[in-house]
Amino acid sequence: MKPFSGGVAQMLRGTTAGLVFHELRLSWRAALARSGGGVRGLVIICLVILAFTGFAGVPLGYVLRHYQLPISRLTIILSDLGLLAIASLMVSQTLSTATESLYQRGDLDLLFTAPIPPRRTLAARFMALAVTVFLTFALMVSPLLIPVAIISHPSWLAFYLVLASTALGAAAMGLALSTFLFRLIGARRTRAVAQVIAAIIGASFFLVSQVNTFVGKSQSQGIWAQAKALALDESFKLPPGADIPLRAMIGEPLFLLGYTLGAVILFFAVSSWLGDRFAADAAMASGADTANAPTKAQAARWETSAFRAIFRKEVRLLWRDAALVSNVLLRTLYLIPLAYLVIRSARGDTGLVLAAAAGGLTFMAGQVAGTLAWITISAEEAHDLLAGSPTRQGIIRQAKLAAAYLPLVIFLAPLLAYLVWVAPVVGGFALGGCIASAITCGLINIWYQKPSKRKDFRRRKGSSWFATLAEASVAALIGLATTFATLGNVWALLPSLLAIGLMMLLRRSEAQIALALED
Amino acid sequence: MVDALVVADLNKSFKTPAVQGLDLVVRTGELYALLGPNGAGKTTTLRMVAGLLAPDSGSISVFGIDVLKSPLEAKKVIAWAPDEPMLYDRLTPLEYLEFVAGLWNVPPALAAARAEDLLQTLGLWEDRNRRCEGFSRGMQQKAALAGALIHDPKLLILDEPLTGLDAAVARQVKDLLQARVAAGATVILTTHILEVAERMADRIGIIQGGRLLAEGTLDELRTRTASQGGTLEDIFLELTGDHGAPGA
Repeated sequence: MKPFSGGVAQMLRGTTAGLVFHELRLSWRAALARSGGGVRGLVIICLVILAFTGFAGVPLGYVLRHYQLPISRLTIILSDLGLLAIASLMVSQTLSTATESLYQRGDLDLLFTAPIPPRRTLAARFMALAVTVFLTFALMVSPLLIPVAIISHPSWLAFYLVLASTALGAAAMGLALSTFLFRLIGARRTRAVAQVIAAIIGASFFLVSQVNTFVGKSQSQGIWAQAKALALDESFKLPPGADIPLRAMIGEPLFLLGYTLGAVILFFAVSSWLGDRFAADAAMASGADTANAPTKAQAARWETSAFRAIFRKEVRLLWRDAALVSNVLLRTLYLIPLAYLVIRSARGDTGLVLAAAAGGLTFMAGQVAGTLAWITISAEEAHDLLAGSPTRQGIIRQAKLAAAYLPLVIFLAPLLAYLVWVAPVVGGFALGGCIASAITCGLINIWYQKPSKRKDFRRRKGSSWFATLAEASVAALIGLATTFATLGNVWALLPSLLAIGLMMLLRRSEAQIALALED
Repeated sequence: MVDALVVADLNKSFKTPAVQGLDLVVRTGELYALLGPNGAGKTTTLRMVAGLLAPDSGSISVFGIDVLKSPLEAKKVIAWAPDEPMLYDRLTPLEYLEFVAGLWNVPPALAAARAEDLLQTLGLWEDRNRRCEGFSRGMQQKAALAGALIHDPKLLILDEPLTGLDAAVARQVKDLLQARVAAGATVILTTHILEVAERMADRIGIIQGGRLLAEGTLDELRTRTASQGGTLEDIFLELTGDHGAPGA
């Protein structure tokens, strides 16, 4: 048998392209693992994309058949804002991944000991980072963009090149920012701070879009209305070159070339400048000062029950994991505008808005609870230790769920208490909705748990797609029921019954859970 | 005196049979070494004894407690330490012992005293407030062993406890295990270091293909294989017909 038989990898071995291929293969396999459904999961994702293409992309292509996009102040502002949103999400993603490269670098040890220049290794990693980010966004726009390009505007395919260029620019920014943080605050704090910054950048566009909610202007004034007002405001001067992204997107060759060249130059300049620094940082990060940090000595608290011991352990681990905390922070950031809306509407007695906000709050409560429950239940590094202890499964699960719900309770309790005080009926329904949503999402995570080492868990960055979809569906149904119930509408029964039915379908017996765990 | 472990006609299959009609008796207060080539069914057997895996058929009894009927009762007297230490990177050894003691409901005062004693004995006391994430393999193994011993188990099951340890740490672990046996505990271990089994074990069991090939003291095994004066390695290779090293 040949010692190596991996065709493409073998052909490209040692080259930059080979290293990029290696990185992409790892990313692809991580994505497959994250989907949790293997080939079946991929088939379902493809079917969803095809359905979206057929039901949304194709009609849109026909609608736009005779439409020529004008280069106006409004379209320039809208395209710039859209690209800014995409770029901010891309920077968030690359910042988070770049810091992982510094810390979870078992493979970098291997690569650095190979007879390949470290600069090439890192350039390949940076490139793979950009390609992964690009592919993520390309996958999202393709169901709309491809039919539109085929049916009416072939030149709009240039948007892919704009996306790729933006991904290169975002990767450069993410890498520069992580190196800057490393130099500024040292190895240990970089990961924590970078994760939090990534979460804030990721949520920033949403938060900015909610500024009016905070400042109290009309709630109907969304991004579209703001952009329109800005376009009509003659005193507002567009900065020079503001039209480049739009012209590049619709395929004007010179602008497309300029945009792409700019991004490529930025990327190679940054990765060349950072290559050696990054290698040095990566080497420093392997020291004991980053990994074996002393914990503040505390008086030992010997617990008297398994429940308390597990609860305490989970809370400690949650608190000490910057990556997971930022994951949660990202979701709770989305709760802030909703919370503000609830408080303002409760005071102003705007029934419909209040009902919608209560439903939204219920949905987000389920999502946050689901994320936290997924962490405490499935990110279990010593599953056998718990399974081998004389502690009932029920106690273990209750303690883990209680730890998962703690941050949510801390955040929601004051808000719900205020709501119950100001508007008791709405508050009561919101409270019930949040509890139901949190419990159901917790149960789904018990039924579909996939225990794994916490560090592997972070790399996969997700649970099974099926469990995630189920959580979102149930939380959405309960949120809808809460909205209707708050309005006193009998239609609340329908989503409630659907949620109950869905939970009954999803339910797994102890034997089924055990069998799944054995596999 | 009731035996520490009695396994009768134990069977477990995954895609292929892993354990087939296994009968095993481990006496109270002995150190029993379970040996076998890679994939022989050692770990599967021990995971079933520890209550981590349900057998397809057969029975397991620990100090007279039926593991399958009363798993929680049985787990109270068992400690399981796999080859990969069951630790939490972001907990300190002391926090880890607090957690494990809580799982086994060890009274707080007793747990605190035992934790200090174990960490001192294993040379981890100075590191009690450092997180385990940067520990060497040996330190991790010792912290996990302390966790296994915090509830003073009557039956200690260890899967490859000496893998990856340097000589000094391996000596500490061996001394601790022998001290436990001297104090009346029963130890079952698997190892691929045959010299360890030869020197430490009261009795040795050799399994292959999920079946027990032979069992007894070193002398009994020599008699059985007509390998007078032979080493355990000679006996092992003759019984298993395997010319490679025994593995997990």
